[in-house]
Amino acid sequence: MWKVYKYTLIDLARNKFVGGWLLLLLAISLGLFQLEDQPVKAMLSLSQVLLALVPLVASVFTIVYLYDATDFTELLAVQPLHRSKILGGQVMALGTALVLGALLGAGIPMMIFLPGGASATLLLACIMLTLVFTAIGALIAIRNREKARGVGLGLVVWFLFVLVYDAVLLWVMFAFSDYPIEPLIVPLAALDPIDLGRIMVMLKVDLAAMMGYSGAVYEKFFGSIRGILIALFALAAWVLLPAALAFRSFRRKDF
Amino acid sequence: MERVLFEQVGKQYGKLWALRAFSARFVPGETVSVIGPNGSGKTTMIKCLLGLVHATTGSIQVNGQRVGTDPAYRHQVGHMPQISRFPNELKIGQLINLMDDIRGSELARNDGPLMKELGVDRMMDKRLGTLSGGQRQKVSAVLAFRYAPSVLVLDEPTAGLDPVSAESLLAAVRDIKRTGCTVLITSHLMEEVEALADRIAYLQEGRLQFLLSPEEVIETTGHNRLSKAIPAMLTRNPKAHVESV
Repeated sequence: MWKVYKYTLIDLARNKFVGGWLLLLLAISLGLFQLEDQPVKAMLSLSQVLLALVPLVASVFTIVYLYDATDFTELLAVQPLHRSKILGGQVMALGTALVLGALLGAGIPMMIFLPGGASATLLLACIMLTLVFTAIGALIAIRNREKARGVGLGLVVWFLFVLVYDAVLLWVMFAFSDYPIEPLIVPLAALDPIDLGRIMVMLKVDLAAMMGYSGAVYEKFFGSIRGILIALFALAAWVLLPAALAFRSFRRKDF
Repeated sequence: MERVLFEQVGKQYGKLWALRAFSARFVPGETVSVIGPNGSGKTTMIKCLLGLVHATTGSIQVNGQRVGTDPAYRHQVGHMPQISRFPNELKIGQLINLMDDIRGSELARNDGPLMKELGVDRMMDKRLGTLSGGQRQKVSAVLAFRYAPSVLVLDEPTAGLDPVSAESLLAAVRDIKRTGCTVLITSHLMEEVEALADRIAYLQEGRLQFLLSPEEVIETTGHNRLSKAIPAMLTRNPKAHVESV
């Protein structure tokens, strides 16, 4: 697996998109910190951008890269290698490249302008979301033979998680406001990884107004540290589940 | 002992059987041309052997090792696909290093004549994304021959190669065959089939129609060229010429 990981990472290191992603994050982060007079405000704006952009880029780039690498994957699949090692190496390399892009592009400005727990939590959320959507992207790429269909599905999944799910959750809360459904919101929010990332950040920044309904419920139920840990645990499950499904599909895949 | 053994191998995609009850045995040192019209099951048969496709029915053995979940048998298999694409940003040298790492560099014929004859040794620092289709085929050919395979699978190997490189490749096939390697080669070029094949496996609609030497095909039909003998062969009773495993 490490051989595939190493050479995929070399390929990704020279990939223009990965470099562009790093520079884009750097430009957005520096721009926001320069524009806002208070670093906390800039961080909040940055968190809104990152929590939407990181999942989109991670899933779409993973899908496109894996489709473009299909012939190379086929070449690897006729070598004396277990398929799990091939996919493991490729997905880990994709995750590493995208995480490094986020850490260098957004992390360095954050640590310069606002060093501390809030920035670290946002970076942690970005890392987890990158891994979650890399795993989801891999699953989509493996289970769909057409690239356009795969990318389209990736966009739909992202849109569902970034906007639709929270809106539905809000509607459920209003519709059933007469019933004691708050305990249900905690597991329901855990079904959206982007929501979980947002909850992690907002619990640390401690701005209840920015939390959204599910974030407020998390804080009420768990307090900040416990809430962050639970959100982190749920995000880890969000990495493992699609990754496990992707590996299962890849083992059975006919090229 | 047979080098490659297919027993009642079938592959179904949805309702379509791409390969039906394919049985054949290939022995060391023979070259078998796998031919047939488009969609006849040639590629599916080869992909089943390589483990790229999971057979729906039957079993395949390479040197007695069953093709299945254990990929170890692929140490003995070299493959040159019809179309080769590699990671754009890697250099040829890096790709070869990766394959050496996977296959074991002690097996690699670093001074192999094919690498020199195809000019791949002079392109080691070239990025794979900058190569033409023919150059990619050359890299692919080098990788297929590099690890002393006992089974070599070549899918339309000379398509896209210039005539000189194509001749070098065919010479390499003859050379490796002398070492006892079993070569399976798909081709639409009858000259190639005539020049290389010890036996011809003809597939149609997923079924093996016949598996005979070129001499047997010519003798049976009375035509002196394979391009005429093969169609004539199909009008006879081809199933009688499929060996029983």
